[in-house]
Amino acid sequence: MARIELPEETRKRVEAIGTTEFVLGIAGPVHPQDLRAKAIEWISSLATTPLKTVIVYMGVDERAQTRPPAGVIEFVPYPPSQGDPSTGPWMEIANAQRSALALASLLQAKVCAVVHSDLAALLDPASRFLVAPVFDGKFDLVSPIYPESKYEGLINKGLLAPLSRALFGRRVRFPLPFDFCASARLLPKLVDPNPPRSQPGAQLLWPSNIVAMEGGQIGQAHIRASHTTQSDGLELSAVLGQLVGSLFQEIEACAAQWQRVRGSQPAEIFGAPPPEGETTETPADVKPLDTHPLFDSFLLGSRNLEEVWRLVLPPVSLFELKRLTRLTPEQFRMPDELWARIVYDFALAYRLRRIGRTHLLGALTPLYLGWVASYAQDVGSTSAAEADQRLDRLARIFESNKPYFLSRWRWPDRTN
Amino acid sequence: MWEHIEQALQDSMGRVTTKIATLLPGILAFILALLIFLILAWLFSVLVRALLKAVKFDERLGSGANTLTEWSPASTPTSLATRIVFWGFVAIGVLVGVSAFEAASAEPAVSAYMFTYLPHIVGAALLFFVGNILARFLSRSVLITAVNLNLHYARLLATGAKWLVLILTTAMALDHLSIGGQIVDLAFGILFGGIVLALALAVGLGSRDLVSRSLEREASRPMETQQEERLHHF
Repeated sequence: MARIELPEETRKRVEAIGTTEFVLGIAGPVHPQDLRAKAIEWISSLATTPLKTVIVYMGVDERAQTRPPAGVIEFVPYPPSQGDPSTGPWMEIANAQRSALALASLLQAKVCAVVHSDLAALLDPASRFLVAPVFDGKFDLVSPIYPESKYEGLINKGLLAPLSRALFGRRVRFPLPFDFCASARLLPKLVDPNPPRSQPGAQLLWPSNIVAMEGGQIGQAHIRASHTTQSDGLELSAVLGQLVGSLFQEIEACAAQWQRVRGSQPAEIFGAPPPEGETTETPADVKPLDTHPLFDSFLLGSRNLEEVWRLVLPPVSLFELKRLTRLTPEQFRMPDELWARIVYDFALAYRLRRIGRTHLLGALTPLYLGWVASYAQDVGSTSAAEADQRLDRLARIFESNKPYFLSRWRWPDRTN
Repeated sequence: MWEHIEQALQDSMGRVTTKIATLLPGILAFILALLIFLILAWLFSVLVRALLKAVKFDERLGSGANTLTEWSPASTPTSLATRIVFWGFVAIGVLVGVSAFEAASAEPAVSAYMFTYLPHIVGAALLFFVGNILARFLSRSVLITAVNLNLHYARLLATGAKWLVLILTTAMALDHLSIGGQIVDLAFGILFGGIVLALALAVGLGSRDLVSRSLEREASRPMETQQEERLHHF
């Protein structure tokens, strides 16, 4: 089944344990004592009767390897992935998530929760909403909703979430989560998705998209954990390329399935959003943002990258972009429809390899900054709830433009 | 007098016909050899394609394929390998054709010269082809990276990178063809040295403004940092 390589000792340990009810997977390196202190308390809060649990974490613990299985809670370390460190933190997290899911699948766990290695989710009482719906058997995956201000997670808000929603048909706010919970039915699919990805080790894990393609039930849970990713020294274009490139790969791999999806279904939400005072929104977030630097980046891109954009975008989009460059920063608004079509055209060019993929994703950055400038102007003086409505409108426009993408996907040369 | 002219014309016509008749077997041998190798090239490329598809070559190549397709985006590794096999056979066909031409013709000197010069032409063409791809790739890489770094002279940098590679490649190709002799080396040295000197002078003379602008930017940075900290892309 799983293509994850596990060392012999880990396999023997798993065989000795046999099966389990619940697996808590830690997606990354963690100190065993810190883990013990936080995880045991969290697990005991999940159910009134003790759950037979295995905690899998990245690391090496000699005692854990040799100790015979005895208690209700077992600890199984798994080795760090041998991936290329230059691929960035997201790829490392995805590899660790896959290792945890593969172990859960081997242990035939009924439920598997995967959390970030900072263990922030275990400190939040609301994180039980991640696990409870899967234990009830009504959901195959519960994805988190993190508390974010309107200027946070913009790649996800402007591109990853609306594109995933439009193509895979589920209204999931964080399609690339750090924490999630999956049912036994979907574990093998998450480890070894169908159709098989050509480079499984070099791809991020998109649980909600995989589960959506398998027809599973997806829920969402408000949790009050926020994670920081080590992104020091990473350029925006590199990160954008990595995240968006991975989603484009996913789209290419599942083309036969997402083409059949029409519209989108809501994913039931558990728990309550944090009260107004507890959000990460600071008083500064309410003030409008100076969008001049973003607008300048967009202008610089449109002056210099037109020859690259011409290989990707149809003439109508190029004309629209040209028109936008004549506006002042205050007047500048990139229509959501144009942004949605740009994203679709880039996804198509990625599949057709019209230009090198690194170049293609690099050329998307100024356009993305143009959208961010437009979004920041729109939500400058609005509340977080109004900003959410603005993002919902964007997602609906991605959905309404899906026929355009479908037609271009099937007959790529028709528009150009 | 007309008889003399007529006789001379008939003689020269006869010589041309004899020459063509002498060359004809060689040309026919060349065409035949080329045709045979074209058929072989087609056969082997079909075989290689089928074999690579059967062993799922593109998928097995994994991350290496990504690197390869960055340079030649429209081609899969299988199609690249197939093309290499095809054109390899065509090149061998040309060489065999030339040697067949030599064997069949009464003018061994021409074919001998062609035979020794042909590898130079192929080598130069290959150099120029690779140089062109490299120049285009580097130019685009520099342009996109410079734009994403907000450098206003991005296009200038990209054009500079492209022409440096093209000039270097042309000089190498001409040197490989033994055209121009030392003039090419000398001209290339002067041109390249001139560009580097011009860049050094431009950087040296322009750096005063650059440093002052950088300092100005540093002075206004607290405002910008506040702005940046409010935006979180990931």
